[in-house]
Amino acid sequence: MKSIQGEVSQYNENMQNQLAFTGNWFIDAGILGFVNLMEEVYGWDLNEIVVKPIDTEKFYYAYFIYYIKKTSFDWINRQDLKNVKEDKKLKFDVTKKNLFTKIEKILKSNSKNKNVKEQIMEINNSIKEAIKDSFEEYKDCLKKSFSNNKETILGKIDKIGIIINEPFFQNLNFIHNEKNKKGKEADVLNAFGRMVYNYEIKKKLTKNALDKTISKYLFSEEEFTNITYCKIQTLNELNKLVDRPSIIFLLSFPLAFNRVFDKYVLFYTNNLESCYYINKNIKIGVEKAKDKSSNAIFKITWHSIIDYITEQRSIFSLENMYLIEHKNIKQQNLIDVEYIGIPKLQASIILDDTIRENLNNSIQFRSNNFKNRFCWLLEEFIKGKPLYPIILNQINLALNDEKKPSYYSSLYSLIIEANILYFRSENEKSNNNLFSENYFNNYKGLVQGIKEDVRNTSYYASLIRGISNDKDKKARIARDLISALKAKDKNLFLNILLKNLNESKELASNDSFNRWLMEKIVENDVCFEIYGLILVMNLVRG
Amino acid sequence: MSENYWERVIGNAKQNLYLKDLKEAALSSFKDESDNYKQKLVYNLLETVRNNDQKEFFYILIKAINKPKGNFKELWKKLQNNYDIMPEETFVNFAYSIILGIMATY
Repeated sequence: MKSIQGEVSQYNENMQNQLAFTGNWFIDAGILGFVNLMEEVYGWDLNEIVVKPIDTEKFYYAYFIYYIKKTSFDWINRQDLKNVKEDKKLKFDVTKKNLFTKIEKILKSNSKNKNVKEQIMEINNSIKEAIKDSFEEYKDCLKKSFSNNKETILGKIDKIGIIINEPFFQNLNFIHNEKNKKGKEADVLNAFGRMVYNYEIKKKLTKNALDKTISKYLFSEEEFTNITYCKIQTLNELNKLVDRPSIIFLLSFPLAFNRVFDKYVLFYTNNLESCYYINKNIKIGVEKAKDKSSNAIFKITWHSIIDYITEQRSIFSLENMYLIEHKNIKQQNLIDVEYIGIPKLQASIILDDTIRENLNNSIQFRSNNFKNRFCWLLEEFIKGKPLYPIILNQINLALNDEKKPSYYSSLYSLIIEANILYFRSENEKSNNNLFSENYFNNYKGLVQGIKEDVRNTSYYASLIRGISNDKDKKARIARDLISALKAKDKNLFLNILLKNLNESKELASNDSFNRWLMEKIVENDVCFEIYGLILVMNLVRG
Repeated sequence: MSENYWERVIGNAKQNLYLKDLKEAALSSFKDESDNYKQKLVYNLLETVRNNDQKEFFYILIKAINKPKGNFKELWKKLQNNYDIMPEETFVNFAYSIILGIMATY
């Protein structure tokens, strides 16, 4: 009996010692980044990493090896030649491939008898030599892609100390361009050592402060000097909270993000395992779709998340999921940062396969002259933004022959929006409690309602196509109707519609169509324009 | 969508107007008229609604149903109970329900 008790308490203790999420997304992203790093460099799997005690020296080594590899691969990948014939370009591509293999070999053949710093320096120097040797014969025709297009990769390699580049930490001592110079490699490594062992992040003010120096997502101590009221948190305090060396997680933070097209994206949910698998699926999906359009990449990203969650049948995870994304880092500031939570209502709706498939589409809503002319419906929906203006613009573009509308995506978007608006207006009217019946059955009734409405509306609204056989006349009516919709003028909309309908006796007296018009437009004081737009959309289809 | 569309309190009594009922009344009233006549009538009614000319709308409508031999009793009753100066939004819904009812009989 005692031995069983002993085993149980041992098990509980092990569970407590396991690496797990803290509930704070910021630290948790770092934990995920740490897991990714260990997996990438040592090949350990998640189960192994969570039970192993954290070894700072192993982290030190892994961190540099990971970044040296990543940075050198990135730099080599973006090399190109200028003013050369096609056969030389082909030869250059082969050289690049061979160089990757060489670097992989160097990374595997480190001298085990040396200390960590010496190992890192040896690998760094060998990679520099390999790059120089491989690109020497192309030195006169290499494109200048460094230091504002003033330097080639050979020039850059010749000046830099450790091959490491991480825009997220640009203002940290150890990778700053001014510090990381040829011959100063040991200083860079020592500065990193002071950070991970002694928590010495900066020299000014609080040296172990948890501020913008260590993460762009935080404020800067220099800018925010209201210390009397708000004492800045230090890494030692954070350690008490996470019960582990928190600096390791803070430094691993950028490794949690996946690059998806032009954004860095992290899907966060409060469970390490789910978070790990979802983000891994995204990474694999994005790599597979490298050469595809941004649209395809977005679809894959969302497939990864929703597929995992539907597999787990876990609406809870979806509700507690956050999408954190930023576009770029310019002058030490993050550009276009967004935090998106998925509300319960939206989560319940997108768990339905058909609805999700139809929303998981990127549509053009601005003319070809605009750079940002595409909009991803699912993302807008999750953010709680209205889809009607996007579809309205899209139909407008279609009327100007710029783009064919995506009929089913638009139909689903509009009907979902209409049903949510009805639902909210009904709730307001009946002064329902916060936790209505629908709240507990996960809005199943609403999802059913949406699907039924799509079925009915797609048929009844399509009848309007019989208003005339002349394509041009239909386009003219559509144009008139869309201007009424833009003005949100129900009177004008119905007037134009019924005047044209008055000439088509068969359609005007069609019982189904007539009833549908009555119910969805005339009697509808909540969102007549949504159904009006569906009619216009059908006219545009010809 | 509102089931009970128009509610008036006269004294202690409440009067409700259901748009669907109004449409049904128009539908049963005009079913025996000729299509050409109804198309012209609808066109004229649409013109008045467009200008929010309630007076003209009711003038044309009442003139059209002022036929003792027709089936207009139901529509007379509805108009008698609900005729009033309405806010534009209510008038628009009221008028188009009648027009759709007439159109359903083509």
